[in-house]
Amino acid sequence: MDELRQAYISESQELLTSLDENLLRLEQNPGDADALNAVFRAAHTIKGGAGVVECDYIVSFTHVVENALDGAREGRIKVDGDLIQLLLASGDHITQLLEFAVDPELRPDAQTLARGEALLDGLRKYSPEAKRDESGMANADAHIESSGGGLVGHDCWHISIRFGENVLREGMDPLSFLRYLSGFGEIAHLSTLLDGMPSADLMDPEGCYFGFEIDFRAETSKEKIERVFDFVRDSCLINILPPFSRVSEYVSLIMSLPEDAMRLGEILVQAGAITTAELDKSLQSQQIDEAQAKDSDEEEPHKVSQLGEILVEQHVVQKELVEAAVVKQAQVSEKKSQESKLIRVQADKLDQLINLVGELVIAGASAAMLAQKAKDAAMFEANSVVSRLVEEIRDGALQLRMVQIGETFNRFNRVVRDASRDMGKDIELVITGAETELDKTVVEKIGDPLMHLVRNAVDHGIESKAVRAEHGKPEKGTLRLNAFHESGSIVIEVIDDGGGLNRARILAKAVEKGLVAEGAEMSDQDVYKLIFEPGFSTAAQVTNLSGRGVGMDVVRRNIEALRGSVHIDSLPGQGTNISIRLPLTLAIIDGFLTGVGEAAYVVPLDLVEECIELNSEAADRNYLNLRGEVLPFIRLRQQFGHSGQVRRRQSVVVVRYAGKRAGLVVDELMGEFQTVIKPLGPVFAHLKGIAGSTILGSGEVALILDVPALIARTTTTGAEHAPERLGLVA
Amino acid sequence: MQPYGATHTEVEVKTIFLVDDSATVLISTSSILTKAGYQVEKASSAEEAMTKFKAGLKPDLLITDLNMPGMNGIELIKQVRQMPNYRFMPILLLTTESQQSKRADAKAAGASGWLVKPATADELLNTIKLVIK
Repeated sequence: MDELRQAYISESQELLTSLDENLLRLEQNPGDADALNAVFRAAHTIKGGAGVVECDYIVSFTHVVENALDGAREGRIKVDGDLIQLLLASGDHITQLLEFAVDPELRPDAQTLARGEALLDGLRKYSPEAKRDESGMANADAHIESSGGGLVGHDCWHISIRFGENVLREGMDPLSFLRYLSGFGEIAHLSTLLDGMPSADLMDPEGCYFGFEIDFRAETSKEKIERVFDFVRDSCLINILPPFSRVSEYVSLIMSLPEDAMRLGEILVQAGAITTAELDKSLQSQQIDEAQAKDSDEEEPHKVSQLGEILVEQHVVQKELVEAAVVKQAQVSEKKSQESKLIRVQADKLDQLINLVGELVIAGASAAMLAQKAKDAAMFEANSVVSRLVEEIRDGALQLRMVQIGETFNRFNRVVRDASRDMGKDIELVITGAETELDKTVVEKIGDPLMHLVRNAVDHGIESKAVRAEHGKPEKGTLRLNAFHESGSIVIEVIDDGGGLNRARILAKAVEKGLVAEGAEMSDQDVYKLIFEPGFSTAAQVTNLSGRGVGMDVVRRNIEALRGSVHIDSLPGQGTNISIRLPLTLAIIDGFLTGVGEAAYVVPLDLVEECIELNSEAADRNYLNLRGEVLPFIRLRQQFGHSGQVRRRQSVVVVRYAGKRAGLVVDELMGEFQTVIKPLGPVFAHLKGIAGSTILGSGEVALILDVPALIARTTTTGAEHAPERLGLVA
Repeated sequence: MQPYGATHTEVEVKTIFLVDDSATVLISTSSILTKAGYQVEKASSAEEAMTKFKAGLKPDLLITDLNMPGMNGIELIKQVRQMPNYRFMPILLLTTESQQSKRADAKAAGASGWLVKPATADELLNTIKLVIK
């Protein structure tokens, strides 16, 4: 897809989101003029852009939408629920139309068009003038096509050249240019001009006095044509005017240029409409024309038009192009003032920065280690300053990638509204913790799983009005999206006040599917987890939203791929709380470095609660008494198969994840360590208990422990040995 | 073959005269030109080139280096242009990017155009096609 279309589509998608949001605001408060204006602007901009990328089907549809909105703005049309419903549906329709905009060859299919027409009929009832305006617009289009033919009426480059008198004496043959041009295009028409010929007595027989007007048909760039005349440019007069068909191409090129403040000439050169040489020449003549123009700034509007006029006068470029460039210039400066507080940065540039910061952290660790070895106090001092700065840079760089989750949450306003309306339920979405920040990559990937969970809650979680009334609950159900930070993770909760999970039904279904043996003893937690099994659905009836048994297992897989976990709490009759726990970032973490034998292991510092010595009592058990509570532990030496003598003194690192606590037995505690996470190759994917690797200051590799997996292990193996009355400390 | 390939009335073989003090340039350029079907004459200094011109060599195109020990390329172009037989012969000057300023001098001396070293075979042949008659 070309850049321009891509830009148009992504811009329009953003606008559609704002259109949706503002329509919902309008629904809450029909008198909200700001929201109405925002909706109008969104529709207007989408229509304008569609014209540029030549998607007439979007133009004609959006035009009617815009008309209705205009009417509403002027107070001619009353904003009511039906109109908003219609406009929301129109927004959806534009989203569909955008899918066709991807490819200039594509046109919407009949079904889509029919849907659009139905919406338009609805909208036209609101604005009777729509029809008339539409025809007016079509005329305007035709007008544009026929105008501006100007100097070149057909599809050829127009080259006019007046040879300098010395051309022959320089060993150049004017005919050789024609021969050369024929090599990469077709000379459609040629006239030889002899008006430069002096009277016979003044004529130098060796001089060259004629010129050519050439219509040249070729798929080429202006630069390439200009290069043909490179050797004679200084002694001849040459103008190359692009074919008219190029004009629209140049206009779109101009519009798709990056939004840097540029001078008019620069814009035209970048689009390829004029060449640097032509620009230089025009600028020179501008300087000659106006002595004071020399040190003036072309960005001032009146100067701009002057350079533009010169370019047009010299037949270097069509007027339309100059106009487009001026429009572009205005757009850029307008945008600049709007964007002064926000800078758009390409995501891969940020990724590269994070990578570099990662390398910096590793290099810093190595310098710190050397400083420590050298036992040079001054060097150590200097190094600790560097380390602190590196840490700050790391945090700052990671902060750049952090975005608020609110935007993701807000998308669900519409989802909940539509879905509940479809289901005949009345559900209010309450959003809290919208300002909670997390890594952009995580945000992007969490959208789909959240969508599943929200739809599930609307569909199955919250009961119908009748059932709710029967149970003495308010008719209006509440769905809550909440986010907060907790010990280095972000927790996202989807909470409904519905009927809760039905333990018996899940179990029955699981037995039927052969997932669990009949009569098995299972905790509520384990039962709830069954709904994440592939193909599991207890919904008696499949709706168009959920219940098809795909989704929940995908939800879990997606979340686990982000090194996160899902947890379900449910109370029959009162509701369900599904909480997703995700790491804040995927790149660099604070780690706690430990040693087992010769190897080093990193425990994410956020998960570490405390470190204690392993006393000899626990030598042959795998749990210990931590201030009266049982703490199951796992010996990393055994877990990872390290050979060699067990040290006399061993330590236990107490870790906690998602409310569960366990101990990890290591030989050595080495302290805090900034850990740059390097993923393990696919070869190691099956390794249990290892989440990744990192590089130590010495250049050695350390493995990062997958604490949740290890905790899961201790709670299964540990529980077998632990006295039953103690249970697991949660 | 006649000395200096002076005539080409029967077969349209164009002769290009290469003047460069570097043997590498002479060999590599002439191999490109020969493969492209041109006949190539070579000289390794401007003085040698002048001797050949005086002896009646009449190429279809002269390509000369700018910097050569003894007489330089621009001087050579000036002298050649003054000889009546060579007034309308195309002449290309070999320059480097950094010698752009010399192009005006070369033009004034009567060069038709220039070629920027190092030129690819395509650039070389394209430029020749543009100037050769």
